[in-house]
Amino acid sequence: MVHALELTDIGRRFGALHAVRNVSLTVPSGQRHAILGPNGAGKTTLFNLVCGDFPPTSGRVVAFGEDMTRRPASHRARIGIGRTYQTSLLFTGLTVIDNLLIAIRGARKGRLSLVPSASNGQDIRDATVLAERVRLAHRAHHEVATLSHGQRRQLELGMALACKPRLLMLDEPAAGLSPAERPELNQMLKDLPGEITLVLIEHDMDVALPISDMVTVMKDGEIVVQETPDRITDNPIVNKIYLGQGHG
Amino acid sequence: MTLARTLLLTGTAGLGILCLVPLALFLALPENQALFWIGNILARALIYGIIALSLTFLATYGGFVSLAQMMVAGIAGYVLAMTVQGAVPVIIGGFGYPMAILMALLASVLAGLAVGAIAVRTNDIYLLMITLALAVGFYRFVESNIDLFNGYEGIRNVLGPDILGRRFRDPMVFYTIASGTALLLYLGVLFLVRTPFGLALQGIRDNPRRISALGYNVVLHRIVAFGIAGFIAGCGGVLATIYNIGISPGSIGLGATINLLIMSVVGGLGHPVGAFVGSLIFAIFDTFAASLYDRDRFNSLIGAVFLVIVLISPDGALGLSRRLGRLLRGKPKPGAPPA
Repeated sequence: MVHALELTDIGRRFGALHAVRNVSLTVPSGQRHAILGPNGAGKTTLFNLVCGDFPPTSGRVVAFGEDMTRRPASHRARIGIGRTYQTSLLFTGLTVIDNLLIAIRGARKGRLSLVPSASNGQDIRDATVLAERVRLAHRAHHEVATLSHGQRRQLELGMALACKPRLLMLDEPAAGLSPAERPELNQMLKDLPGEITLVLIEHDMDVALPISDMVTVMKDGEIVVQETPDRITDNPIVNKIYLGQGHG
Repeated sequence: MTLARTLLLTGTAGLGILCLVPLALFLALPENQALFWIGNILARALIYGIIALSLTFLATYGGFVSLAQMMVAGIAGYVLAMTVQGAVPVIIGGFGYPMAILMALLASVLAGLAVGAIAVRTNDIYLLMITLALAVGFYRFVESNIDLFNGYEGIRNVLGPDILGRRFRDPMVFYTIASGTALLLYLGVLFLVRTPFGLALQGIRDNPRRISALGYNVVLHRIVAFGIAGFIAGCGGVLATIYNIGISPGSIGLGATINLLIMSVVGGLGHPVGAFVGSLIFAIFDTFAASLYDRDRFNSLIGAVFLVIVLISPDGALGLSRRLGRLLRGKPKPGAPPA
């Protein structure tokens, strides 16, 4: 069976800092996989290695059976890896629809086209549907710079979904959201089609656990626990990491 | 509003302005003064506006401020002067104007692509420095290779082809061709920025990391953008060479490079039309500096204008006009809290 993601002994050093060390992880297709851990555990670095922001100093990254270790970030998007960022990285000078259009066309041929593509009308319809799906239809023609933080997080998700990803990697999608905005995000994540493999970094267990099939906990750049969500909260190592020595 | 409708409206408005201005000049001034304005100020503003448009296109939509655009225009001018029949001295010669102009434009596109490829990993001050180094390097190359470029004297007698039996350099003929070229290139830029390429270019400006993660090849995109800017600068370079009846190193030196940046900043880098606004302000001051103050103090004068505009309005004359418009209509500044 071809897995969505296979990491083998992956590591990354930044000078003397060993941010990620010997991480091996397999995510089967269709699985919802949460990655938890305290600040500085190496979760986002791991994401950046998978998504090609920088190469690993050791190990291999394989996605859908293809070795991605030295491939550029742009190639990963084209084979169906979509991602969001911990801090929203959007095109703030453009409208919501334009952001979604860019995201839709990124994984297709003709993205360098100097004339409006034949699929222009379809692209705009797809972008409009996506804007509705992430509850931004009413802001579709507004500049991103005018959106609230929560709306920016919704747009982040819409852009990650725009390339019709097979593997969706969400880096703290609930970061900075108010309690009132979180249920909407939870619902959007629950509504994701079952065939999309989801890898999620999240501090908020209330967001991560209800939608996860498997949970990996990292600390100091290493995997320390891998469990199903119903058993993770009882794990003494996890309690020690999250609640302190007395709870271990 | 659809793109076609926007272009149609902008094109009609642009054509109207470009036709009405000479007409108004003929009505308001004696014929020789009207022709002076058309030939010496408006035509010059259009030519340098086209070259400044190439800089504004890169800066506004890509976020790349390139100081090599005058060099690229100069490459087109030199290729035209070196290859066209009748230029003095003969360097290569033998080609008619259509072929020589085609070769000049091809050379400018290739030069633009080369600049883009060399500067592809740089941004901000580093991009400025590397493109400035290229511009100065090319100037020195032209200046010192006398056999190829005829040194300080440059290449003369590039008069342009006859158009329907009239001389290319006839003020009205030249103005018509320069304004038509400027309008087409301006509309071309407005069209281009709504294509998949243009939208992605704006994405690169806002966030290159994200655009790469969405599947775009940022390096290739940047190089192609410089190639397109090269074509725009090349059109300006060809017209400037015919306008000046030739080309010499002085027209592509450090002074010319800085002047182009001043035009773009004075006009405003927020919209492509700023290139033409800036070049018109520059041409007016350049022409009337002697009457206003002292011809030899032109640099002080334009420097003062530059300082005043940048201090009052960092987004140039365009931003200034927008602010004045809001003030006159009594509308609050965008983003300001309601009263």
